[in-house]
Amino acid sequence: MKPSGILFFPAFDWAITPTHPEREERLLYTRDQIFEEGIMDLPQVKEYQPGLAAPKDIARVHFCVPDIPAQITEAHLVSAGSALVLADAFMQGEIKNGFAIIRPPGHHSMSVSHGNRGFCNINNEAIMIEYLRRKYGARRVAIVDTDVHHGDGTQEIYYNDPDVLFISFHQDGRTLYPGSGFMEELGGPLAHGTTINLPLAPRTTDTGILYALDTLIMPLLEEFKPDLIINSAGQDNHYSDPLADMRFSAQGYAQLNARLSPDIAVLEGGYSVETALPYVNMALIMAMAGIDFSNLREPDYVPERMKESAGNLEYIKKMVKQQLAAFRQREEVIARNRKTDQHFHSRHKQIFYDTDYIHEEQSVKLRLCPDCAGFRLIESTAQHRNGQYYRVYCISIPINACPACQAEARSYYGDLSGNSRYDFIYLQDRIDDEYRSIDTGKDLEKVL
Amino acid sequence: MLIGIDVGGTYTDGVVFDRGEVIATTKVPTDDKDIKASVLQVLDRLLEQHPADDISRIVLSTTVVTNLLATGSWERTAVVLIPGYGLPADAYGISEDTFFLKGGIDFRGRELEPLDQAELEQTGRQIRSAGIKRVAVAAKFSNRNDSLETKAAAYIKDNFPEMEVFLGSKISGKLNFPRRAVTTYYTALTSREWNSFVDAIEEALAERGLQGEVHILKADGGTLLLDASRSLPCETVFSGPAASTMGALAISSDKSNAVVLDIGGTTTDIALIIDGSPLYASKGASINHRYTHINAFAVRSIALGGDSSLTASPGRVEVESFRRGVAACFGGGAATVTDAFNCKFNLNIGDPRLSAGALRELAGQAGMEPEELEAAVVDTVIGRLRDSIQNMFKEWENEPAYKVWEVIHKRKFTLDKIIGIGAASRAIVPELARVMKIEPYIHRYADVANALGAAVARPTLSVSLHVDTQTRQYNLDPGGVKGSLDNAGKFQMEDARQMARRYLEKIGAERGMKSYVEESGFFMEEQFNMIRGWDSSGKLFDVGIQVAPGFIEEFKGVKA
Repeated sequence: MKPSGILFFPAFDWAITPTHPEREERLLYTRDQIFEEGIMDLPQVKEYQPGLAAPKDIARVHFCVPDIPAQITEAHLVSAGSALVLADAFMQGEIKNGFAIIRPPGHHSMSVSHGNRGFCNINNEAIMIEYLRRKYGARRVAIVDTDVHHGDGTQEIYYNDPDVLFISFHQDGRTLYPGSGFMEELGGPLAHGTTINLPLAPRTTDTGILYALDTLIMPLLEEFKPDLIINSAGQDNHYSDPLADMRFSAQGYAQLNARLSPDIAVLEGGYSVETALPYVNMALIMAMAGIDFSNLREPDYVPERMKESAGNLEYIKKMVKQQLAAFRQREEVIARNRKTDQHFHSRHKQIFYDTDYIHEEQSVKLRLCPDCAGFRLIESTAQHRNGQYYRVYCISIPINACPACQAEARSYYGDLSGNSRYDFIYLQDRIDDEYRSIDTGKDLEKVL
Repeated sequence: MLIGIDVGGTYTDGVVFDRGEVIATTKVPTDDKDIKASVLQVLDRLLEQHPADDISRIVLSTTVVTNLLATGSWERTAVVLIPGYGLPADAYGISEDTFFLKGGIDFRGRELEPLDQAELEQTGRQIRSAGIKRVAVAAKFSNRNDSLETKAAAYIKDNFPEMEVFLGSKISGKLNFPRRAVTTYYTALTSREWNSFVDAIEEALAERGLQGEVHILKADGGTLLLDASRSLPCETVFSGPAASTMGALAISSDKSNAVVLDIGGTTTDIALIIDGSPLYASKGASINHRYTHINAFAVRSIALGGDSSLTASPGRVEVESFRRGVAACFGGGAATVTDAFNCKFNLNIGDPRLSAGALRELAGQAGMEPEELEAAVVDTVIGRLRDSIQNMFKEWENEPAYKVWEVIHKRKFTLDKIIGIGAASRAIVPELARVMKIEPYIHRYADVANALGAAVARPTLSVSLHVDTQTRQYNLDPGGVKGSLDNAGKFQMEDARQMARRYLEKIGAERGMKSYVEESGFFMEEQFNMIRGWDSSGKLFDVGIQVAPGFIEEFKGVKA
């Protein structure tokens, strides 16, 4: 039997600010626990060394404004790069699955990155998925976001991609950051139904979450038949998390991962550094490595206090039913959307960066292509923390776009070059794996 | 004058070293049943030429503990584990007599669950009725709080006085409970036997009028006073490879990147030197396929040596993992690896005609030309050694890192030379170096470098300190010392450094290594702010200070 790959990168020399939840101490007790348990010495586990992501790996997903170095630190390159190390080990058959216990996290980062949102600058899972698609030809991917916060960044990146099934359960956005992830967010017009949200009431327990797993998530995965299952593995559904209000336990996390059986799990949030993380990380490692986890629990765990209410279970059942139906109707809805004779579908968005206090304005145009899921043209403006104001234009060609869409999208890049209305113009061509940017002020083009 | 004695699997070597030169050497076959006799035989031969009065220091590298652990001929010993929540009980199959107790400590050293007195009593009775008299007790996180271990041990000692009890917290302060439990178990298995060896050696040295210091070589390449080794028998495992690695450093003495190849009769030990420092096994020494907390050089042993036997079958020749005797060129009769290199490269070892004769006979059995057979043997040997060296490098490059800085400044490595140790290295290393396109280095003392390495190695000592200013507790290793801070509110990194250094000085004085304490250096300095809510509630410090492996003051290199 192949081992599970574990990559532990606690970034003991990186913090957002000294007292921020994303600080050096976050994985310290996890380090103590997993080292003291000696779990890395077991034959079921193989420890991997961190790696570095290349700028191109980031450009495949993000439009960093004004450029990649402005949005990341070395820690981000290591965190994203470490997910890539495990992805390679998995694809090359060295491990049966992998868990990247890494920080900084990434699931709130969207396609355009003006700064830090929800402790994230770049999206580790999306960078890994696009890397896997490019390098190994993986096409259909399912992401199950088990963080208590809605994975709005990952959702935005794959909102128009029918080959990526994004499922997020989280504490209801009316009660928690980032305030999104509602039932009706089901994907763009040509990727309807492959974004599925399950906003759970505060204080939902193991019973409720595992019910949703068994009756919604597992059936969706079975029907979607992904090449890869990724767990965007937040640990803040835990009953002791200081930033959220759910009642999930280490046993719950272990059960969830044992049943979900993700190919790769990537750590996201989780800020109960002493009471939850050491035990939840152990739970994930044990579940993924197939080690009996019945003897694992938090020292303060009292199962009797974590009973699910009948009312909440009914509420979850209703949502599950509705979302199953939405998923199963997706092809009909997409076919209907395709019939509109509009060339583009347009939307206007405002995005708030809580960590960096940036207000971004976006207008997004999606090509309503008869043959593929189209491409995106994004106009974005924001004033950065240093006072600098940016207006940028981003062209995003997904890996599954048709040749006509690729040619059309590239023509916009050619037409716009030299247009001083925008400070920067970016082209992201995942088909040719080519990433260009023009600094119109300096008339300087960079190619990755 | 210094004496170094290295007990190897086949031979026990001894040297007398003085002012940069080896002035006497001797070699006797090792008697595995009576290591003490082999040591004393070598010692007496050396003392024939050099009076005991002139000897200022003796260092022994022995296989007493290694053999005891390898052969399994130990007294039945119980392991009592206090693991708390976490991995299942079947993750810890250390001994057939493993007992589990309730009780839990967390990473901050807080007691989560007390011992269950009734269960403890019952366990004691079970151990007694099995007739077991040695007990290893280990609790998870006992390096942060040893109270459960000490309570359990006190109870056993009081109520079952026939039992000797060993505590995990006394054995290692490092994280990793299974390794601590295994090391404690191995200590219990070997303690009495090691102590009777120490008694016998002390007595024999006194009889011979030797007044100089007597040290034992440890797996980390450092020495320890013979008397201080009594409580730490496991530190003496793998001292053979440690001796040859220190020997390689002694004869090459520069800051290069090198691979050390100690080619013996049937085994080759491979070690790496990086920027002049030997590489350590990151998971600790592995004994009987279990990781321990014994700090040891990263050594890969492969079953291949100068005496490795050759077997022919039609069309092919095998290099075996065993020996039938010495090489044909030394009158052994059958062809060995050494004979194949001897003929192929005209090395003129022993009587080359005997090598050629034995190889011709073997080639006949294989239906090959002798030259063809020699080439096949050489290719096999060189290929195996090269692969093993390259795998070691790969493993070293794949060591985990936990800080951004470590990943960004990833270690780059190019190999400068291969240092050959052991008699057979003269035959094999030049060809290996040629194939790998690196410089071979074979010193005139290569044959006795292991005993020489032991003779000139200095004492080592590593101290680590863990401080928690919120709970006000600190833990010091070695020895599992704990205490309470009186200046927790103002405690800073500098205080932690001073505290660790003072403890190093104290233990250093006890171990007769005062003069080396000044050469100590910090190898770990970690500080974490504990934030609860948005406020600081304390700090955690981890500080490590050590006297690293090196050479005694009077050693100024070997004369060229």
